[in-house]
This record gives sequence, C-alpha cells and structure tokens, in this order.
Amino acid sequence: MDLENTKAQMRKGILEYCILSVLSKNSCYASDIIRELKEAKVIVVEGTLYPLLTRQKNSGLLSYRWEESQQGPPRKYYELTPEGKTYLEDLDKSWDELVESVNLIRSK
Amino acid sequence: MKITVSINLGGYSFNIDEDAYSELKLYLKSLELHLAAEESSSEILSDIEARMAELFRSRLTLYKQVISMTDVKEVITIMGNPEDFSDGESTSRKAKFYTPGPHRMYRDPDHRIIGGVCSGMGAYWDIEPWIIRVIMVALIFAGGLGLLIYLILYIVLPEAKTTAQKIEMKGEPVNINNIKESVKKEFDTVRKNMNL
Repeated sequence: MDLENTKAQMRKGILEYCILSVLSKNSCYASDIIRELKEAKVIVVEGTLYPLLTRQKNSGLLSYRWEESQQGPPRKYYELTPEGKTYLEDLDKSWDELVESVNLIRSK
Repeated sequence: MKITVSINLGGYSFNIDEDAYSELKLYLKSLELHLAAEESSSEILSDIEARMAELFRSRLTLYKQVISMTDVKEVITIMGNPEDFSDGESTSRKAKFYTPGPHRMYRDPDHRIIGGVCSGMGAYWDIEPWIIRVIMVALIFAGGLGLLIYLILYIVLPEAKTTAQKIEMKGEPVNINNIKESVKKEFDTVRKNMNL
C-alpha cells in the first residue's frame, strides 16, 4: 500500500463534490474555483479541475456564460443548473452519512 | 542573445524564448493526447490554455517581457502532468486508446506534391511515395483512370492534421514517446527551414 496514492484517491473522490459546493454559493470562473480548492487543499495540480468541469457541464450539472473582463479576453463563468442543485443536495446527504459512518467506526 | 517566438495563448499574445516554446508545445501536445479519449477534449484544452495564459501574465512585468524556460517549467508544475489528471473514470478509456496503435490511411500534408494522397498511401504501406506517384501518373496517361482514383481518394481520405493522426497513418502505437518524437521532428524541420 502506498500512502500518497491512497490520499490522492481520497482527494479525487471528494473533488467533484467540492467543485459543486463552491459553485453553490455563487457563479465562478475557473480561477476562482481553483483558489478556493487550493485554500482547502483538496487539489494539488490545477489541471485536474478542467476535465471534471467539462464533464459536469456535459452531464447537465453545470452551465456557463461568457463574461467580459477588464484584464483580457472574456471569462467563462460556471454556475449550477437546477439539476446540479438537486445532485448537490443528494451529495450533501451522502457526505453527512459517510462522515457519520466513519466517526462511528473510529469511536468504537 | 536568444530567438523569441510570438504566440497566442488563450487570447493573449506572448513573446516566448524558443526553447521555452518547444517545451510548452510538447506539454500541450501530450495534454492533447491524454485528453483525446475525453468528450469535448478541445474545450478542456482551451480552458487549460486560458488558465496557463493567466499564470504567464502574472509572471510578466514591465521589465520582464519574455516568457522563459523557468516560467514554462513553473507553470507546468502548477498545472501538473497529464498522467496526474486522469481519474478512475478515464483510465479504462485511456487503456483502450493506448493499445495497439490503429492504422488508418490519411492524406499526408507534410510530404505532399498535390493533395497528399500518394504520400499518404506511401506512409500507410511504408513504401516510397514516388513509386505510387509513378503508378498514378501512368494510370492517368492510360485512359485517365488515375485521375478518377486520385479525386475519389482525395475526397474520401481525411488529412492527417494532428500528431496523433500522423502516427496512426504509419501504424505506430500512439503514446507519449511517439508524440514527443514526432513533435521533435517537426521542430527540427522548422529550425532547418529558418536557417535556410
């Protein structure tokens, strides 16, 4: 068993959930999402984010709009679709359940 | 003194050292390859390019206007290796993509005389394109059949545009090492042409 690998696997599992959670507060563009994920230390290399974002967009959880920016080319702002909101609510529930289960096992 | 190249990355224009440019191009190529199995891979790529452009912009000042090798290496470290991106979902698809290299006929734009049909056939069967050209010309003079064949093939065969397609054309397995080699070859040709 490789500790680093196990840690990476754990992070990957919750990354998708974290992206949706970040976007549940307000619409963001990719660099905002990255900043939040980095602060929370759930992402190590930035490249991981982009395939996930596009995958979530393609499956209808996210939508985006182009917004002008003063510093350069227009930026892509992502937001949750109604479908994404229900999806996130489900994930919230199962996250709570998971935490509970793990705590239960650890406290025994 | 160093030669710089002017590039457009994510809608920004940059001046970049030649060696840094080839490093960056190599990185983007290997990303392209890794994401090839992904749906909307070009969209992911342009998002990544936009982010890299932003990171480069933050490294430039009034007194530092050219992107150097160090900048490229730093930004690549931030973005990560394409191997690190893939999660469980895409590994199975990637495995399918990697095993044995598909072999398809394309038109070869790099060695073409007219439309790249003969050079493409040559690359596919691994024979000198001039042999096919001679046969084609002979068929054209012998009743014009060659012209018809050429036209049909020109329409039917797609052009090998991406590095992955160029490797497929020769029937070599598409993997990072092959891509790297092809890209290096491309650079050498460009360099030679510049020296002429």
